[in-house]
Amino acid sequence: MTAAPYNYSYIFKYIIIGDMGVGKSCLLHQFTEKKFMADCPHTIGVEFGTRIMEVHGQKVKLQIWDTAGQERFRAVTRSYYRGAAGALMVYDITRRSTYNHLSSWLTDARNLTNPNTVIILIGNKADLEAQRDVTYEEAKQFAEENGLLFLEASAKTGENVEEAFLEAAKKIYQNIQDGSLDLNAAESGVQHKPSAPQGGRLNADSQPAKEGCSC
Amino acid sequence: MEAVLSDVVAPEDLKKFEKKYNNELLKGAVSKETKFEYAWCLIRSKYTEDIKKGVLLLEELVHKSSKDDSRDFLFYLAVANYRLKEYEKALKYIRTLLKNEPGNKQALELEKLIDKALKKDGLVGMAIVGGIGLGVAGLAGLIGLAVSKGAAKS
Repeated sequence: MTAAPYNYSYIFKYIIIGDMGVGKSCLLHQFTEKKFMADCPHTIGVEFGTRIMEVHGQKVKLQIWDTAGQERFRAVTRSYYRGAAGALMVYDITRRSTYNHLSSWLTDARNLTNPNTVIILIGNKADLEAQRDVTYEEAKQFAEENGLLFLEASAKTGENVEEAFLEAAKKIYQNIQDGSLDLNAAESGVQHKPSAPQGGRLNADSQPAKEGCSC
Repeated sequence: MEAVLSDVVAPEDLKKFEKKYNNELLKGAVSKETKFEYAWCLIRSKYTEDIKKGVLLLEELVHKSSKDDSRDFLFYLAVANYRLKEYEKALKYIRTLLKNEPGNKQALELEKLIDKALKKDGLVGMAIVGGIGLGVAGLAGLIGLAVSKGAAKS
């Protein structure tokens, strides 16, 4: 495979975490494929997906690691938290236990990422209003108390899925703009790609050679 | 899926799970969980010997587990063998998983990539054999030419 010319200015690394069966992989699938995956088996280890989206007029490539929720994977999946710029912490609004476990997921996320990592709390399965077990208000309050962004979403209908990834990306971008996120830090989870000159697209590999570096 | 296949373990993680494994080994019994964690790190190493060691551990785990909980081991055996370029073995493991779980999206994606790698290997092999074939044919042609020339001279 040849290196494709890139048409984005930033890469943000994301992780998706939360109990098993809350719909992490379905959220990722809805986001990258715009389709709902019914009858989705438990993820083995980790999954990966990417999508380019526009954030404040800038093209940003999201590289998303979707972690398995089953306990036996948890020790090893923790290593994927390192260097994440954004984290989607997901619970299921119809299963209270998945909400009760959030503090444990949040502790991991805080301990294993950097202080600038943007965490967004997602209450998934918002289409199942009749089976709701966690109110919007209490989750909203939990998010506010812990400095998290918050949305209720549905991987099934697609409601707020795009927004979930976008809200986190906007916050990361804002952190870059106001200087609170240092792009040079090893584990910022953000890579800046200098944009291609007018009229032409640059190839990642050929760029330094073409420029004739004088340093 | 390509990202999962090329993902490399951080050395400190490999060390951490190796230590946990060795500690349990010293005490006499390694739990299934610890063995799996260590194996999962080993097969993501950039060193072939580590990957091979991971394969051995995963094979032990598969033999001792029921059909229902062997999926993780089979999946990572396929990943490990892919990384070792043992595509035939990789295919065998992923197909065993798919027999139990025909719709597994991760397994189907991996199967596709293994197939692709196998075909590519096959094409290269064919090109080599083809090349040798062409060479032999060329040589035979030259000899034939020389012989016929010689025959014409006499």
